[in-house]
Amino acid sequence: MLLEGFSTALQPVYLLYALGGVFVGTAVGVLPGIGPAMTVALLMPITYALDPAAALIVFAGIYYGGMYGGSTTSILLNTPGESSSIVTALEGNKMAKAGRGAAALATAAIGSFVAGTIATVLLTFLAPVVAELAVGLGPVDYVALMIVAFLTVGALLGASVLRGLASLGLGLFIGMIGIDDSTAQQRFTFDNPTLVDGVDMVLVAVGLFALGEALYVASKLRHGPVEVIPVSKGKNAWLSKEDWKRSWKPWLRGTFIGFPIGTVPAGGADVSTFLSYAAERKLAKGQNKAQFGKGAIEGVAGPEAANNAAAAGVLVPLLTLGIPTTATAAMMLTAFQRYQIQPGPLLFENQGALVWTLIASLYVGNLMLLVLNLPLVGLWVKILQIPRPYLYAGILVFAALGAFSVNFAAADVGILLVVGILGYFMRRYGYPVAPLVVAMILGPMFEVQLRRSLQLSQNDPTALFSSPFAVVVYVSMALIFVGSWWLRRRQAALEAAPVKDELSV
Amino acid sequence: MSTQVSTPAKRPTGEILFALVFVSVGAAGLLTAGSIPIPPSETGIGPRAFPYIVCTMLVLVGSGIVAQVFRGKVGQAEESEDLDVNAKTDWLALAKLAGFVVLHIFLIEPAGWPVAAAVLFSGAAWTLEAKPLWKAVIISVVLALVLQYVFGGLLGVSLPPGPLLEGVPFFNG
Repeated sequence: MLLEGFSTALQPVYLLYALGGVFVGTAVGVLPGIGPAMTVALLMPITYALDPAAALIVFAGIYYGGMYGGSTTSILLNTPGESSSIVTALEGNKMAKAGRGAAALATAAIGSFVAGTIATVLLTFLAPVVAELAVGLGPVDYVALMIVAFLTVGALLGASVLRGLASLGLGLFIGMIGIDDSTAQQRFTFDNPTLVDGVDMVLVAVGLFALGEALYVASKLRHGPVEVIPVSKGKNAWLSKEDWKRSWKPWLRGTFIGFPIGTVPAGGADVSTFLSYAAERKLAKGQNKAQFGKGAIEGVAGPEAANNAAAAGVLVPLLTLGIPTTATAAMMLTAFQRYQIQPGPLLFENQGALVWTLIASLYVGNLMLLVLNLPLVGLWVKILQIPRPYLYAGILVFAALGAFSVNFAAADVGILLVVGILGYFMRRYGYPVAPLVVAMILGPMFEVQLRRSLQLSQNDPTALFSSPFAVVVYVSMALIFVGSWWLRRRQAALEAAPVKDELSV
Repeated sequence: MSTQVSTPAKRPTGEILFALVFVSVGAAGLLTAGSIPIPPSETGIGPRAFPYIVCTMLVLVGSGIVAQVFRGKVGQAEESEDLDVNAKTDWLALAKLAGFVVLHIFLIEPAGWPVAAAVLFSGAAWTLEAKPLWKAVIISVVLALVLQYVFGGLLGVSLPPGPLLEGVPFFNG
């Protein structure tokens, strides 16, 4: 099956698509302030005219490229800010300032490749097994799984639980606008014909991520020249033997931390990078340990590997259950649905050829990422130096293009603006935007399954606990919450630690 | 992250207003959910239950945030690479940007997508103090034409070329 996927993905035209996807994904991902979810959302119009296989291949490239691009930004830019890449910035930024930028980028690139490849192998074997198990799941089990996804996405992200839940609730509300999936009744449309079809996911995502971010940055733009840390060239800049020795174990550890965390709905890539960092810091000995906080290569290698492995792990619940657990996964799901591909247990049966093409192109994309990134560092540095007025003006134009091309209706750009303003205020007042996006996708699916389970049991709510699988899920959810509470305390301590070090010096 | 920026007394007002947006969306939902028609064949909890649950949640969570803000627990503004955290909010820039997006919306149909895009780009670059301005305008025209060519011409995304470029075949795909 996988071989058939490869035979499609390796056709010259599709290889070209993969290359283009990886290139564009990385280039956009490198842009400051643009995370992987925004990269996928912004680049969606590119694929509108492609056939499904080509579109999936491009998306595989964009997905990995966007993930990698963010780490380049945090290593090379003097002002790291995105919380998702804060762990990489912790050591990578220090390495770059010490003239070891090229080595930091190299260990990140090779680590991402190693982790991405191993994780894709795991995905290849795990996904069909999970899909087979998932065929036997009933609506009650789905309700349990989705409750977990909701709570972890809403409560784990961001500093304030209430704000996370508010964002989640608003996403659920927007998801309800339009026609009810079960009874075909109109809800919250206020007899407005444009609302009958619901609010398009692409509009919300591009509005929140791209327009909201552009407005937010514009309101407090840092003026003056952009400071990019120069990447030193020459023999000493590249990974030395010592660096390899110090990197390979963190790569592997990062992989096996990242992949499982990606597959369960527990906060996605952010949590895994932090865990990997903490592990490397703990395991380092002697001189290497003293380097932590001053540019230890393990602190880049591990988290970067974990990040990529988690990105592949996230695809397991997405492809086999149809449940997105991160904002990026929610965007991927939206993209799939545009091509009438419905992820879920039946995906491997109904559209096996496409899925295996997608998985094969993940391998290809990973390799291309490595091949492209090492020689192109100079180009990424140039991209980082784009004057900010042009950069954010460009993001606005691209966001408007994306919104317009959903239905070729100018009114959609109006909806984009409204959502963008919402996104601005959410950033301003510390509301995480990711829960809104995930809830908007998960909400309608959840409602259908919940109502189906209640209908089957004649409205007996205890039926929701009737399946052993659901009970196991609820119990593990309780455990995850206790665990995450502990993790957050550790994370807070970790973030406070370097600051304290600096103060005491 | 750990450093608490001292907030001027003005800020919580906006924050409370924004939290109240969540409360009012929830309240509006609760008021209108009762008018969602239920088909007679419905045997389950029907199309109203979920709206009631979600809207109640919005009202409760929104009120909770208002209460938190009153007790002095304000939200942490998000950080970003290009952000000057200590800068004052430039409301004029925000208004200008929103204005240019609106202008863009009204230009797409009559003037064509490339014109609308060029106006949006140069307007935004001007708002964000790109210098010199003529350079921004040239970039905007080139960018708009390239995008029109790549998306409209090559990728087959039907962007309206507008009266100026109507006759140019490679902009129309």
